Amino acid sequence: MATTDVQGRAVAGTGGGAPFTWSMVLPMVRAGLFGFTGYFGAAWITAMLAHTVIVNPLPATIGYLVGLLGWVMGSGIWDGWIRRAFGGEESPSLTGVERYFRFSSDPKATAVRYIFFNITAFLFAGLAAMAIRIELLTPDSTGWWLSEVHYNQTFGIHGLMMLLAVAASAIVGGMGYYLLPMMLGARTVIFPRLLGLSWWLLPPAAVAVFMSPLIGGFQTGWWGYPPLAQNSGAGIVFYTLGAATLLTSSVLGGINIIGTIVYMRAKGMSLGRIPMFVWGLFAAGTILIVEAPATFTGTLMDLSDMILGSHFYTGPTGHPLAYDDQFWWLFHPEVYVFVLPAFALWLEILPTAAQRPVFARNWGIAGILGITMIGAMVGVHHYFTAVSAERMPIFMTITETISIPSGFVFLSALGTLWGARLKLSSPALLCLMAMMNFLIGGLTGIFNADVPADLQLHNTYWVIGHFHYTILGSVIFSWLAGLYWWFPKATGRMVNEFWAKFHAWWFFIFFNMTFLPMFVLGIEGMNRRIAVYLPYLHPLNEFVSISSFFLGAGFLIPLANLLISWRSGKKAPQNPWGSKSLEWHSPSPTPYIVFPEGSDVTVVGPNDNYAAGAPEPFVWAPTTAGK
Amino acid sequence: MAVNGTNGLMDPAPERAKRGAFFFPMMFVGIIVAAWCLARFMWAGTSVPKGADFGVGAGLTIIMILSLGPMLGARGKLSRGQDAGALGNLTVLLLAGVLMIAGIISTWGAVPIGSAYGGIYDVTSGWIGLYFVGGVLALLASLMKGKRVPARFSGERWVAHNVLSFWGELVLLWTMFFIVFYLA
Ligand code: HEM
Ligand SMILES: [Cu+2]
Repeated sequence: MATTDVQGRAVAGTGGGAPFTWSMVLPMVRAGLFGFTGYFGAAWITAMLAHTVIVNPLPATIGYLVGLLGWVMGSGIWDGWIRRAFGGEESPSLTGVERYFRFSSDPKATAVRYIFFNITAFLFAGLAAMAIRIELLTPDSTGWWLSEVHYNQTFGIHGLMMLLAVAASAIVGGMGYYLLPMMLGARTVIFPRLLGLSWWLLPPAAVAVFMSPLIGGFQTGWWGYPPLAQNSGAGIVFYTLGAATLLTSSVLGGINIIGTIVYMRAKGMSLGRIPMFVWGLFAAGTILIVEAPATFTGTLMDLSDMILGSHFYTGPTGHPLAYDDQFWWLFHPEVYVFVLPAFALWLEILPTAAQRPVFARNWGIAGILGITMIGAMVGVHHYFTAVSAERMPIFMTITETISIPSGFVFLSALGTLWGARLKLSSPALLCLMAMMNFLIGGLTGIFNADVPADLQLHNTYWVIGHFHYTILGSVIFSWLAGLYWWFPKATGRMVNEFWAKFHAWWFFIFFNMTFLPMFVLGIEGMNRRIAVYLPYLHPLNEFVSISSFFLGAGFLIPLANLLISWRSGKKAPQNPWGSKSLEWHSPSPTPYIVFPEGSDVTVVGPNDNYAAGAPEPFVWAPTTAGK
Repeated sequence: MAVNGTNGLMDPAPERAKRGAFFFPMMFVGIIVAAWCLARFMWAGTSVPKGADFGVGAGLTIIMILSLGPMLGARGKLSRGQDAGALGNLTVLLLAGVLMIAGIISTWGAVPIGSAYGGIYDVTSGWIGLYFVGGVLALLASLMKGKRVPARFSGERWVAHNVLSFWGELVLLWTMFFIVFYLA
């Protein structure tokens, strides 16, 4: 691939900066300190004033809010944003390593922090999964491991964290915020400080949820359904506040995604030329802005019932089912926030690996947008067992029509691969595996959506199987694919290909060994969310648990691979995958200023212009004055 | 390493983009209130209980509608480049915001939160109150910036512009709230 003028040019004011010193971590430490002091101080004072103890809902709520504020204020947001906004002194933009450890308006630093956060949350929530599987090694509830109450707390934390602290931002945050401006030919996002803030909301929320057992935990699983929510431990306030905070963070990202796509595309980037991955982000952003309010208000009203004495979902005037409506209003579409960026990522990686244009590109885009629209109307399929008979056929039908646009996306991917000579690098392999897994996940979803089947399958291990195929099997496989694919972009080094592929197979085999039997378990009558089961299910559960331990332990491989490759991996060439996409036009590792001053890009075709003899899609020319 | 002067390059979005994209956060905060206004019918039917503080609600609505004057005035001045003149209007809006917060808090005791109407009233008005807190802080920021560093204020006029748009949204939201909670 020819290098462009831009690739070769040095960029002023970006040269690495000072080397890392420990003092650079101080803002993060300060944030933690302010956060904890704020939490305990406020909780304690509230408890004194209300004549209660600090583990009660009200002190915990006030403590959380003050702690969150303290954490954010400690992050460097004062000199980075607030002081300036009130007309105070302007602080210099930090372009060196220090920006990774403090509030920063650089979307690349924010994205890298997302990756660290997601990996950490994945490991902790993964440990919770291991704890669940240890419990399920035996049919009765063991005396030496978790009690039934602790078991309930454990799967609730596992579910909420895997969904909102991992799946929701793994691809959208870590990869999306890094690549979004670059792929559009912009140098940053539309509201960079807002995006910076979005990351700082994550850690306190996650810490609160993980720590919720300290104030009594919660027994509701990740749903938070009333009236159980109000009756099962004060830890539920950390659930509602944590979920609301994580949603806010997602929405701040969504605003940036949509605003950047609408207003900051390079010259010539018409809708048809927007990269597929950006279309996936567009879908996620739209869903979040339009649908998050219903669920967001649900969590706050749930909380209000606990601390303010209202009766939205409980008591004589409460409607517990209204919570289900509000909750699933976003949380069905939220699964598309997870998976559409993953779909889109396949359509970014596979064409490059096959050196072919995306097959039926516009149908693929239509598929993504179609899923976004139909997906907005199907939340009720999560509680068919609780609704009136009139609602059943309606939501069954709408849900099943989602297969049509999903088919478009799949056919786009399959058509791209058909007869192609695929260069099977580890990211491409992981994409293919994700597609295999999604096939099973999607097909079992159709059974869930079928009312007569669902009345039997609901709340059994069948459903657990279904959503692990869609989320772990598709989203997390794709996340790894993306991490390996853009690792050279962010670090200038390649991941170790052997260990990447080795782990891909390890993951694929033990993933299927863990979750395929769950469909059988579900049909055989194993309930989800219950610490005990009938003895005839024992052998299969043992098999699942042992497989899951291998699956879990396997994640040490990519962890080590990423860390070691980062320090001492093979130096990456400028464009290791032979991609035509715009992000590879800037040097790797990406300098602070992605594209140097003085040049501007014009888009003359989509970034999958791989057909023989097709022109390079991006042309650089000196900036014309007065544009 | 600290570098000055990359801000233009690193935040190159033009005025038009910064204003246009502000529609998306406004949409999000607007849908929240709209959802709660709908929820009022779900939780509390259509009857307004006797104790509801109609007088204060109506007064606050009048303040909000009157505030459209200074808001539109400020927008006009900003677009004509008379930034210093717009600051006076911002001060008026700031005072109106403080009044709104006080007014909202004063209505809370009227109907007990445990009743269906009281619960949804308090949550919705409390949330709108938070918007006013945000609005007041944003107005204060713009005012202080305009006084302390007028050149920067003019250089990034979109900030003040968006603050005013947000105020316009507040007028809409509050009026909707009043209609739904006191008249419907
Ligand atoms: C292909 C189309 C899909 C259909 C028709 C479908 C349908 C369903 C239905 C009907 C349920 C409720 C089952 C029950 O509780 O009885 C369900 C559960 C679930 N699905 Fe899907 N699904 C599809 C794709 C996905 C995707 C792509 C994801 C995520 C990326 C996903 C994630 C989930 C989750 C998380 C749950 C369980 C929530 C819970 O009960 O805790 N689904 N699905
Ligand atoms: Cu669903």
